[in-house]
Order: sequence, then structure tokens, then C-alpha cells
Amino acid sequence: MTRILPWVLLPMRLYLGAVFLLACWHKVLDPGAFALDVATYQVLPLSLVNLVAVTLPWVEMGAGLMLVAGLRARAGALLCAAMMVVFLAALVSALARGLDMSCGCFASQTAEEDPISSLTVLRDLAWLGLALAIVFLDRRPLGLDAWFARRRNAP
Amino acid sequence: MRAVRSTARGIVRDAAVAAVGLSLLGVAVNAARPGGIPLVATEEYEVFVPCPEPLGEVEGIPPSDPRVGDPRTFLVDARDARAFGRWHAPGARNIPFDYLEGVPDEVVRRVASSGAAQVVVYGDGEDPDSGRELGRELAGRGVRNVFYVEGGFRALEAR
Repeated sequence: MTRILPWVLLPMRLYLGAVFLLACWHKVLDPGAFALDVATYQVLPLSLVNLVAVTLPWVEMGAGLMLVAGLRARAGALLCAAMMVVFLAALVSALARGLDMSCGCFASQTAEEDPISSLTVLRDLAWLGLALAIVFLDRRPLGLDAWFARRRNAP
Repeated sequence: MRAVRSTARGIVRDAAVAAVGLSLLGVAVNAARPGGIPLVATEEYEVFVPCPEPLGEVEGIPPSDPRVGDPRTFLVDARDARAFGRWHAPGARNIPFDYLEGVPDEVVRRVASSGAAQVVVYGDGEDPDSGRELGRELAGRGVRNVFYVEGGFRALEAR
């Protein structure tokens, strides 16, 4: 099992990293539009909306790159898990208030194209599960960490 | 492949360092880019999230339908007060329909407790027709036997 686990976790790690990289680019390119998405949830005070819109996409990008490159991958997965918890809380809060809106997770989505629903919650829970699996089980990361370790330990 | 072991503390530390560093990078890039936004918004965002009004289905009836002029009918004009003032069907009461604001609860209660055999709504006859939309909202909020006049006030006026 310990021999197989890294190979099971590798595609999970690459997939989760790709999801976060895909999710961040439109927010990085257009922070104003993302700020509107954040404001639509109506959970943050106005003073924090822009700050979150400016910083969160870069944390998403960094976490995605860490997972894809295998550089401090468990720390990257921990960041992903923390963000998923925050996203889930906002999502459940919006659903409980009956807001008819898009989650704003990916580019070019409107409430008509991709309204938030219990399926969105399940999807985010699945991603949270993947992130936690990597945090707790990814003992032998393939990628830059492994490469650096090999170089350090080379005779 | 050699195992790369990380302590829990190390993982949390790395994650915190990455989060702070990346956040600062985001702030720096935002400050440097031409389309950057202020870190603290000064004006409220105009968020348009329609409140989910429960909607029911209503049947359209022609303006010649006897239920329109039936004395047991609660006849409703869904247009604004000015349009209602210019012309309205005899006996009609004005409940202006707004696509953004729901019908006040007391108005729905008044219609529901009117004792009328049916509620007939007419509106502007446009697409979408404000009469049909108001009828759907009333039906969705528990008012029974709601109908709308096909063609709206123009069809009634020309009758």
C-alpha cells in the first residue's frame, strides 16, 4: 500500500492543483469583477471585499502551483483545504438565504449558467476531501520536493 | 524515491508563509497594475441578486371571457398608478407589479381574503406581460383561482 499510495495521490494532487490554477486566472486578471462576486455573497463587510478580491486569487494560484510542482505540496494542500472550508461556509450561507447566484468560482459563469446548489456543495466537499487526503497521506511527494531531497541525500 | 517527511508544524508554517507571501504579492501587483482596485472599497457594490419569489402557474383567458366581468371576480390592474389613472377596466383595483420588489404581504393577504371566486389580473400586455407575472406571484404565494387576461389592458380596452 505504501508503494502504491504516492502513485494514487499524484493524479489527485495534479488534478486539485489544476482546479485551483483554472479557478484563479480570471480573478487575477480582473480583480474588480471578482470583488463584485465576493460582494454578491453578502458575508464580508465592505472594507474587506476588495482586500480579499486582490489577495485570494494569488493564494489560489500559489497553492495550485505548489500542488502541480510538488513543492511543499502538503502545505499547498493545506491552503487548498482552508480555502475550501471558507468557500463552503460562504456557499452554504448563500444557499440558506436563497440567493440566486453563481458561485463565481470559474470564469464566464452567470447565475443562469451555473447557479449554486447542493451539487456545488458536494463538489466543494469532494475537493476538500482530496486536499485533506493529500495533507495527511502524501508522505512521499513526487515533484520538486522529492527532487531536492534526492539531491540533498546524494552521496 | 526518497521519503520527504514534514512535520505538522512545518506544514502549517509553510502554508502560513506561502499565504502571507502570496497575499503581499497580490497587493503589490494590484498596486502596480493600471487596472488595480482600491484595497478598501468606498462605495457599496450594486449587487443584484433577485430574491426568490415563489411562482405558480396561471391560466390565460381572453378578454371576452365572462370571468373578467363577473361580479365575483377580484379584478386587478398590474400597471403603475399613472397608467391605471389613464384607463382601467371597471371595478379593477390597482396592484402595480414590480419585477424587482415582491408584492407586499398585506396586499397578498387582502387579495386572498377578499372572498372572490377568482382573481383576474391584466397588465401591460408586453412580453413578459406584467399581468401574467403578477398572477404567477399571487398564485405562488397561495392565492387560488388566479387568471390573467391575454393581451393585457389593450385587449380589454379594445373589447
